[in-house]
Amino acid sequence: MSLAFTTPWLLAGLGLALLPLTNPGIRPTPYAWLEMLPADPLSGLIAAALRLCAVLALTALILGLAGLHRTEQSRERIGHGANIVLLLDRSNSMGNTFAGKAPDGSEESKATAARRLLSDFSQQRPHDLFGIAAYSTAPLFVLPLTANKPALQAAINATATPALAYTHVSKGLAMALDFFAQPNLTGSRIVLLVSDGAAAIDPDSELRLRQYFKQQQIRLYWLFLRTANSPGIFDLPQEARDDNAQAMPERHLHLFFSSLGIPYQAYQAENPDAMRQAIADINRLEHAPLHYRERIPQQDLSGLCYLWATGLLALLLSAKFCEAQR
Amino acid sequence: MPAFYPHNTLLTDKPPMFSSKTYQDYRFFCLAFAVLAMLALWVRPTQDQARPVYNYTFIIDITRSMNATDYKIGDQPVSRLQYVQYSLRGLLAKLPCQSKIGLGLFTERRATLLFEPIEVCQGFNEIDTALAKVDWRMAWAADSRIASGLLNSLTLLQQRDTNLVFMTDGQEAPPVNPRYRSDFSALKGKVPGMIVGVGGLQAVPIPKFNTRGEPDGFYRADDVPQRSTFGEADLNPEKIPGYNARNAPFGDATAVGNEHLSALQESYLQDLSLATGLSYQRLTSADAWADALQSPTFAKQQRLHVDVRWQAASVALFCCLLVYVPLGKMRLKAV
Repeated sequence: MSLAFTTPWLLAGLGLALLPLTNPGIRPTPYAWLEMLPADPLSGLIAAALRLCAVLALTALILGLAGLHRTEQSRERIGHGANIVLLLDRSNSMGNTFAGKAPDGSEESKATAARRLLSDFSQQRPHDLFGIAAYSTAPLFVLPLTANKPALQAAINATATPALAYTHVSKGLAMALDFFAQPNLTGSRIVLLVSDGAAAIDPDSELRLRQYFKQQQIRLYWLFLRTANSPGIFDLPQEARDDNAQAMPERHLHLFFSSLGIPYQAYQAENPDAMRQAIADINRLEHAPLHYRERIPQQDLSGLCYLWATGLLALLLSAKFCEAQR
Repeated sequence: MPAFYPHNTLLTDKPPMFSSKTYQDYRFFCLAFAVLAMLALWVRPTQDQARPVYNYTFIIDITRSMNATDYKIGDQPVSRLQYVQYSLRGLLAKLPCQSKIGLGLFTERRATLLFEPIEVCQGFNEIDTALAKVDWRMAWAADSRIASGLLNSLTLLQQRDTNLVFMTDGQEAPPVNPRYRSDFSALKGKVPGMIVGVGGLQAVPIPKFNTRGEPDGFYRADDVPQRSTFGEADLNPEKIPGYNARNAPFGDATAVGNEHLSALQESYLQDLSLATGLSYQRLTSADAWADALQSPTFAKQQRLHVDVRWQAASVALFCCLLVYVPLGKMRLKAV
């Protein structure tokens, strides 16, 4: 538990809170001869208690004014949660429907469907941290791993803007893996690749990707949005000479992922329904219990200070009513 | 016992409680007022106040000329893009809560949005990280068609309730053919905002990078097109040496120019700002610019519940202190 103040310089006023120790705050009553008064321990006690009340009331007021609060805390909990990086394809073709046409109102584009389903997905998983990276020809860093759902929604909504150029998946993957390159990240690490196409991975980055995937212990999900009449990830080549990454990038990217030796699952969705199914499946699979840290937001304690101050001041006032006067 | 105190009438007569003298003591009034103030504090802890909040979508030019180094942070020379990031991160810390910042990038002839405006206090870390990660390597295509990019940004944002801040050095690459300028008339005044001119007025070389992204000298005159060769020339064909309508519409003379150097094209950006109805501001110092963005022109008054407990609490504190500061002793001595 750590306490902090919004305006710490006001604490300088705490010195004033000691004033009641020098001054009883009671109208002095002249006596002819003080030594005639007998010692009265009870009176002494009441006098001391009143001074203490005054000190406390002043302290509470000053602490309240200085904005006493408990700083943001986190506590370790066990629950369902994961670190999920959404790696989104922003290539031109994502703007088309599953039928490969420009959306005409009756059918939504792949990007729209992905946006809708992913925002549902993120809402369903309250304890997860989500990060977003996008890629077309170059990778785009969008949001770091965060639990800030409105921010996440804002980033998912932004994919409504028209898509960009080509598909350069290896750079995108490298950026997604980079999200996990931070120490003290607990929980499972998931990359959810949402794309409607694939591209050959050059040998140079292939080696590095293999290494990173293994090192970071990533679980990879590939949600492949297949356009009608386009090659799928599970298609087999009709001729042996077509069996290369240039001719069949989808199949070869799938083979590459399968060969990584990491938990990997590919989903080929040919319509928004299949896509919903796939996301529901991932949602179900990623429900392993894990340790995560729950954030306890900053807590304002000035209200408590004011409450004490009110009580103590009321007590002092009532004592004032009991004062004997001559 | 009373016999021992013959002169003391106080102890012989029981003193009356709540004597009228209680109400003559200023301390009583002070305490009563302090308690009243505390009650008022609980009755009205917050107050509705109109506070200015801002909603900006920054579109940052990430084309190569933004790598030109003509800014300084402290003593460290930095590139235009780095200075833009530095200024934006500074601004992020200054904007009042409930303000929102969105981020987008511009290259080639289009802009893309990374995220729609996010609330700055809740999303400080997210926005700050995203700003820090902006890199020229994110560019999905080459070319730097500022006017087209601006037009595209305006189109993107016209349905969204946000102010566009378009940050660029105004260097079109390849140079624009004046015959084919973007037409902003349909969008003029639709989106409020500002064009921010980034860079110095002195032309500086543009750093070049190799395929691995490592620095590789600077662009030279023959690395870049020095004039537009698109479409028809805007000059009178008779004035163009070596003109051939099909094969050499721009003539056959070797183009010379300084397109490999980059300076802030201020007059061009001012023209664009007139055409789009955006204001123009040059980014010279991060602080001055942050102040310009917090001008009432872009502010929206939002009614917020502002914590006003400090007012009542200060009154109570003052009253309570009056009881205990040694005023009474002074008065007694005076008597």
